[in-house]
Amino acid sequence: MATPRRRAAPAPRPSASSVDDEMRQTLTEIRLMEGSARVLQSRLDVVSAAMSETQTAISTLEGVRGTTEGSELLLPIGSGSFVKGKLASSDKIVIGIGAGVCVEKTVDDSLKDLRVRSSELDRARTSVAQQLGQILGATEDYRARLSEMVRKKGGGSVEIV
Amino acid sequence: MIQEQLSRLQQLQQTLQAVATQKQQLEIEASETDKALAELEKMTDDSSVYKSVGSLLLKSDRQTLLKELKERKELLGTRITVLGRQEDRTKERMKELQEKLQEKLRPSTASAN
Repeated sequence: MATPRRRAAPAPRPSASSVDDEMRQTLTEIRLMEGSARVLQSRLDVVSAAMSETQTAISTLEGVRGTTEGSELLLPIGSGSFVKGKLASSDKIVIGIGAGVCVEKTVDDSLKDLRVRSSELDRARTSVAQQLGQILGATEDYRARLSEMVRKKGGGSVEIV
Repeated sequence: MIQEQLSRLQQLQQTLQAVATQKQQLEIEASETDKALAELEKMTDDSSVYKSVGSLLLKSDRQTLLKELKERKELLGTRITVLGRQEDRTKERMKELQEKLQEKLRPSTASAN
């Protein structure tokens, strides 16, 4: 994963002829950072969705653990619809371990695995959110710098969208 | 001539990006296969194991899955190596082309195209 670092805004140059170049360069940097921010935001959405799914699985297993075998349950089939079923086992479940393989495990072992996954996802989410914050902060610095350059050049204030 | 070389350089950049993306995806898959293998190794032969086939989970056996995953890991390793070589070759070609272009664009030797 590429680690974006907060870049310092470019130092002002005295030569008037180089101001245009500097503005173009700053705008290019802004566009690049916006691209990185979009990638990080999409990564954050994926991690958040996976975390939410893991939390749902944990809650479901915690509920199943205290349920007696043979209890009636409703299996969701989408669109708010369910088919009726009965709990065949309250101590064993089938859990995915990746690469298209699922294994039968006790509810307790599965809960441990899911909690580990949840912690890993939480760490990933914190890291991605931090990177996103840095990129957004740096982008704001660059925007302010560009706006200042435009103002000094006599173009008034400018809004970069 | 310079236009052609610039266009070639852009093509090489696109190829490099595509190869790098493909390699990264395979590396993720290989890492996932490693984790699944490690998990299966910890289990016993009488454990219930399932293989995902489309939207179904088919009951399988541990030894079969271990064999399949090891083969998959080997195949992924080979493909990653091949893509790595392709990545290196593309980088070399890009470097050569960039040097040629820089040489042509130097003010003293630059010629109108």
